[in-house]
Amino acid sequence: MTGWEVFLQQLIIGLSNGMIIALIALGYTMVYGIIELINFAHGDLFMLGCFAALTLVSLTGDLPVWLVLMLLLVLTPVFCGGLNWLVDRLAYRHLRDATKLAPLVSAIGVSFVFLNLGLFWGGLPLKVFGFGKAAAAPKDFPTLVSNANLLGSSNVEFTTKDLLVLVITVPLMVGLTLFVKRTRAGKAMRAVAQDRLAAQLMGIDANRVIGQTFLLGGGLAGVASVVASLYNNTIYFQMGYRAGMDAFTAAVLGGIGSLPGAVLGGLCIGLARAFADQYIATRWTNVIVFAILILVLVFRPSGLLGAKHREKV
Amino acid sequence: MKLRFHWAFLLVAALVPVVGLFVPAARSLGELLRPIFIMAILALGLNILTGFTGILNLGVAAFMALGAYAYAILTCDIYPFQFGFWPAVMLTVLVGLLAGLMLGLPTIRLRGDYLAIVTLGFGEIVQDSLKNMDVITKGTQGINPLPGPTFAGYMFRSETYAPWYYLFLGFLALVVLLNRNLQRSRVGRAWIAIREDELAASCMGVNPMKMKLLAFSLGAAQCSLAGALWASFLGSSGEPGNYDFQVSIIALCIVIVGGMGNIAGVLLGALVVIGCNSIVLETLTNFLKAHELISSTNVYTAPGNWKYMLFGLALILMMRFKPEGLLPSRQVKAELHPHEPPPS
Amino acid sequence: MSLLQVDKLTMRFGGLVAVDAVTLEIPPGEIVSLIGPNGAGKTTVFNAITGIYEPSAGGVRFAGHETRSEFCGSVAVLLLLTGFLTAGALILLCNIESLWEVVITGNYQYRQVFQWKPANIAFTTYFSENSGTRLILPAVFGLFLGLAGAWAVWQRSRRAPEVAAHAGIARTFQNIRLFNQMTVLDNVLLGMDTQLRTRFWHAALRLPLFWRERREATGKAIEILRFVDLDREVNQLAENLSYGHQRRLEIARALAMQPKLILLDEPAAGLNPAESQALMELIRQIRERGITVLLIEHDMQVVMGISDRIAVLDYGEKIAEGTPAEVRANPAVIEAYLGKSDAST
Repeated sequence: MTGWEVFLQQLIIGLSNGMIIALIALGYTMVYGIIELINFAHGDLFMLGCFAALTLVSLTGDLPVWLVLMLLLVLTPVFCGGLNWLVDRLAYRHLRDATKLAPLVSAIGVSFVFLNLGLFWGGLPLKVFGFGKAAAAPKDFPTLVSNANLLGSSNVEFTTKDLLVLVITVPLMVGLTLFVKRTRAGKAMRAVAQDRLAAQLMGIDANRVIGQTFLLGGGLAGVASVVASLYNNTIYFQMGYRAGMDAFTAAVLGGIGSLPGAVLGGLCIGLARAFADQYIATRWTNVIVFAILILVLVFRPSGLLGAKHREKV
Repeated sequence: MKLRFHWAFLLVAALVPVVGLFVPAARSLGELLRPIFIMAILALGLNILTGFTGILNLGVAAFMALGAYAYAILTCDIYPFQFGFWPAVMLTVLVGLLAGLMLGLPTIRLRGDYLAIVTLGFGEIVQDSLKNMDVITKGTQGINPLPGPTFAGYMFRSETYAPWYYLFLGFLALVVLLNRNLQRSRVGRAWIAIREDELAASCMGVNPMKMKLLAFSLGAAQCSLAGALWASFLGSSGEPGNYDFQVSIIALCIVIVGGMGNIAGVLLGALVVIGCNSIVLETLTNFLKAHELISSTNVYTAPGNWKYMLFGLALILMMRFKPEGLLPSRQVKAELHPHEPPPS
Repeated sequence: MSLLQVDKLTMRFGGLVAVDAVTLEIPPGEIVSLIGPNGAGKTTVFNAITGIYEPSAGGVRFAGHETRSEFCGSVAVLLLLTGFLTAGALILLCNIESLWEVVITGNYQYRQVFQWKPANIAFTTYFSENSGTRLILPAVFGLFLGLAGAWAVWQRSRRAPEVAAHAGIARTFQNIRLFNQMTVLDNVLLGMDTQLRTRFWHAALRLPLFWRERREATGKAIEILRFVDLDREVNQLAENLSYGHQRRLEIARALAMQPKLILLDEPAAGLNPAESQALMELIRQIRERGITVLLIEHDMQVVMGISDRIAVLDYGEKIAEGTPAEVRANPAVIEAYLGKSDAST
């Protein structure tokens, strides 16, 4: 492969992975924007979504691929969104007015619970989980979307998987933007994010809107988990940590609370990882990503697209 | 002088090995308490940052790792330095100070949540770098064996636990004393003011940047001290994977569960959190193993596999019912004498 | 020679012009009031004076100097130091493993005595072989990065509130901003921070300076609390005080700074007539201590009762200035703020 082809290939890989990271980062930044909570459990929610997807695949056995894909893309986000909503209802709602650290520690607790759930899930006596004999081991996700190169015999590979990523994530992000900007529910979310008390005085039920945000954010994580599982073909119960790290970094890089920021951050991280993997060395990739984060934050402390935080005196 | 909780704790702790001469249960308690002392030092370092100054640091394990490896490099005989225990510990504290400064300088003007994610990333890359620079750090093998500490010419051996116990307890007492002195001084006041209301504090002339850098350096130095003691305790630097996010989170939970900003709370938190993990869980596992109830192919039977779930649930319940911690600092203060003349 | 000079100060927030070319001259020893309807920009002016906001145009001069830190020798040294340190760190980072091999493991035989002879430390040969990528590139990059980063951070901290505080400007806040979980005494001691000399090693090791200064500071703090009549609440938590006491504590904390100028933001808000009278007396006594007072207030009795001069803001512009009598009779002021029927109050 020529140098140029290598570059293009990494570009494609970086963008695909970046879109997945962006999806997870979106869910995370939405929750942060509305209640200023660093939702530690978000990465592990993504992991549980992957396990749910694998279970669904095993249950739908011999159905045609397109039907399985549809079911995955509908049911997994519902699962993740519902779980997220439930966690908010049970663990965070009472802490709306507590100090900032109380919901954070609660989120850490939820993250640990999810982690353990992932471990136990992998121990279920299903064929896809190896009949529960090695619960902690990584599981294979069946290849439902082929690896065929859409560019024919070119050295640069743009596979059906990459196309899948694009086809799912781009419309979803467009839809999300329209939802937040045009619909009443979206407007309510933005209102509560800006000033909860004022929104409540306008008659908005803040707790309901916050619950909806968790639902939506969880749904996005659910979609991301389906896409990631189809793309990478392997899941393991500790994958939430890595995904969470990337998502947090992406959200901060783009500016916490900013939706376009999360997407931009996700793409930056995805590209940075791909290029660092190729041109420097895989073992230094995390360090490079961190260095980029620090660099951006030194010169732009609110992130790339973040709003400057002005304290009211 | 009123007997505050932390002094009472240290006093009682000092008596445990004495009791252990007669009661074997106290002896095994003593052995189990040694890592708790070290984790308490780590948590006190985090307490300076998060408890006093209000800076959320999610990667203190990085400072502990740097401390452990620095100590190991300085004392192990595979490298030519071969310093003694005490010079090595002092140099390690210096390394921690510099590391804290290094992390603090570019990040000092960041808002709390941005800074938290940056510290999270820092924890990760220190771990990665230690693993990658295997020419120096011997990668996942770790640097070992390390000679034991020496005191007045006597070298500690792993058979007798009592000298180790008093060594760690002594360091803990020193750290508690230092932190207490800082807390009840101009420095501590400035830190707490920054935590309460940074803008108002800066309008009163407090330089938040300088004070935060100080908190970073001192907190990191303490965490590195904990790392050095840990390495000497293990006789090895351990592998980079030992100083991961979980350690940072455990330290954070100790601080928050115990009561943020309250030194006595941190001590209690360390006892509760680590005690539950190492003592309760261990005993249960041993009990079940003895009765052959643990199967290696069934993940649900080993108590160790329930660790995360239990810990997580405990955190959630704790925050639901007592979010200010077991020994909240202002309560302790307000409970005593609001109208008396100022304390000495 | 005025103590505070606000010179065509303009504050823009996005499209909104909150303060429009306001000019104020405060001579030392006076009590000046800033009045106007809500949203006129009064607190914004305060925030610009104390360094919370960077002026969009115009400036603030206190005792002849602008209230921000100037570029000087020590700043340049700090920037260069950061640059060199970053360069050094980057060089080290790129080379540490190879250097380690060359210096340490290459020369040290396990358990044998290590010779720290210069000949064994083959720095120069290592670097002369690899100078391009290994030395020059990281050095230049690091130097540039360190300088740029330090410059960016310094620029952002130039006009910070602590600079104004050290220059001698103290303030209270419209919405009380006390340190709620600290005691009354600690709040005042915090205000005194600029006057203290104790460093962290004095505190950590409990050196004599610490004890001496603590005694003196506590004495001074209690004296200030006596001045505002709060000496009976010394160990009470700030959040447990009554509203009126909290307002007085804020003033005490500001006074502890030994300021030349004190900015009071609506100190009489929420006070009953008797308390307002006591406040007026307190402000007069503050002036007697030699401190100049700039006051934002809506209570016209207080304003007319103690001000030497009054400036009136409306929609960000100064519409009038003068003695209480002049301002009271000014038709523009009556139109905008005082109201025709209240002209006699």
